Amino acid sequence: MFNKVLVANRGEVALRIIRACKEMGIKTVVAHSKADRFSLPVRVADQSICIGSSSSQDSYLNIPAIISAAEVTDVQAIHPGYGFLAENPHFAEICQSCQIKFIGPTPESVTLMGDKSVAKQMAKKAGIPVIPGSNKIVRTKDEAIKIANRLKYPVIVKAKLGGGGKGMRLAHNDGHLVSAFMTAQAEAEAAFANSDIYLEKYIEKVRHVEFQILGDNFGNIIHLGERDCTIQRNRQKLIEETPSPIMTKKLRKKMGEAAIKCAKIVNYVSAGTIEFLVDKDNNYYFMEMNTRIQVEHPVTEMVTGIDLIKAQIRIAQGEKLKFKQSDIKFNGCSLECRINAEDPQKNFTPSPGKISRFDIPGGRGVRMDTHVYTNYEISPYYDSMIAKLITYAKTRSETIRIMQRALEELVIEPIKTTVPLHKKILNNPNFLRGRVYTDFIEEMLDKSG
Amino acid sequence: MNLKEVKQLIDLMNENNLGELEIERDGLKIRLKKEGEKIKKEEMVTTVSPAKPSESTEIKDGQLQKKEGFFEIRSPMVGTFYRASSPNAEAFVEPEQEIEEDQVVCIIEAMKLMNEIKSEVKGKVVEILVKNGEAVEFDQPLFRIEIT
Repeated sequence: MFNKVLVANRGEVALRIIRACKEMGIKTVVAHSKADRFSLPVRVADQSICIGSSSSQDSYLNIPAIISAAEVTDVQAIHPGYGFLAENPHFAEICQSCQIKFIGPTPESVTLMGDKSVAKQMAKKAGIPVIPGSNKIVRTKDEAIKIANRLKYPVIVKAKLGGGGKGMRLAHNDGHLVSAFMTAQAEAEAAFANSDIYLEKYIEKVRHVEFQILGDNFGNIIHLGERDCTIQRNRQKLIEETPSPIMTKKLRKKMGEAAIKCAKIVNYVSAGTIEFLVDKDNNYYFMEMNTRIQVEHPVTEMVTGIDLIKAQIRIAQGEKLKFKQSDIKFNGCSLECRINAEDPQKNFTPSPGKISRFDIPGGRGVRMDTHVYTNYEISPYYDSMIAKLITYAKTRSETIRIMQRALEELVIEPIKTTVPLHKKILNNPNFLRGRVYTDFIEEMLDKSG
Repeated sequence: MNLKEVKQLIDLMNENNLGELEIERDGLKIRLKKEGEKIKKEEMVTTVSPAKPSESTEIKDGQLQKKEGFFEIRSPMVGTFYRASSPNAEAFVEPEQEIEEDQVVCIIEAMKLMNEIKSEVKGKVVEILVKNGEAVEFDQPLFRIEIT
């Protein structure tokens, strides 16, 4: 068992990992930036070590500083959380060569699944349905036009090293496509240092349904059900729920098996998520695999009763998975709202600053994962998510009612947050009926002006 | 020393914007301190220590010499602090030693690489804040230097 683990992340996920470690009797060190020295993770960890100045480049993305911190604090393992270095195969490799366990998958599987175009090809080869697309990198705009017309518009231009909704452009005709092609290449170069892009048919009216998987070092891979993440703004998830309103026992079995098959292609170890798109006729298509723990993992935890962070740590310690697929039971429903420090009235501009009041909701069926507290200063250097409000109950309607009630109790002053938007969504008849597609928010916001 | 002289000292303090004044004469020591004097905190300077009596009584061109500032050399990285380039070598600096700007004051080892840390100021080493072989974090104070 690990004696001490280094948490190479910040905010609510750092806190999440520290909590799991504490409960397992594992000591924690949190590597933090100068801006985060008064943060909650720093306060609750057993040790803390400042690794750089405020910018992410100097701190949370600073591999030498993090490895150096791991060495001087004498840890056995590093948990990278999500974002930052969590899907950086180079970092995973360096941990390996420094004899520090990287709590996550192998560098090879990160690399393979990190190339979204290659991942699709592998899934296709394994007999998993994929979205019709270019099958390989598209090098020229003439090639793009040819392929787009074969697929039939609309098409979406995607960065091969993209993911998490970044580096994508939609095109409805040849004219759009040319500009989308050039822009996507430039954006991809800037964001991922690689301008390779591929094309995909854009299926309108789709839902985003992803499956959580867990794999151990002995080849055992199981799935822990789905999460419906259709409610997105600019391809960034806002609300997630399980079970998916469109799921049936039969579909779950088929999709779950497809997810496991996908993970088996790369002999996946640790927690991972396979993302699918599901069309109006319940046809599912593999989109991509995320080789990390995800933001929305709590909803899976609520209905399965399994602590996913602890599972990751146990797997990293070399333990066999405690459960077989038949042991996984789903009880009730869970919903998560991502509370961001953004102003919905001003096109979601970030709203950092000092929190003068932070009243956390409570009561039966409420879980709040947050690193924020009263008088905490939200800095402008990092992403805007400040809390995850999670509710759970036996039925979907009760889960929603608890969330509505909890959102009323939640008070965050004086900064602007996405709470008003969440309240609006939770009162929307289509959402309540469970009849939404990925364009839901754009449509809802357009209608209200 | 009579009351008139004390009042003259107080006037001298006010004219020259002093917070504190200490005088020793004829075996008598007197110290005057203004109430509610705020010590300005600058990024680089930590505490302003009370000046020695001889310094505060020095009057140069009718102006009293301002108190000197202190500077902390902080670690630019995470690693292990070493006072010398190798276990048997002499330490780069010792307390009370005068140092120049850009002079190497210590080594910080990070991932098997030895990094020489240089002083940003000219001055005197007042205090060495870390022990040899101790782990240090980014921005941790290593040396307190009195700027000269």
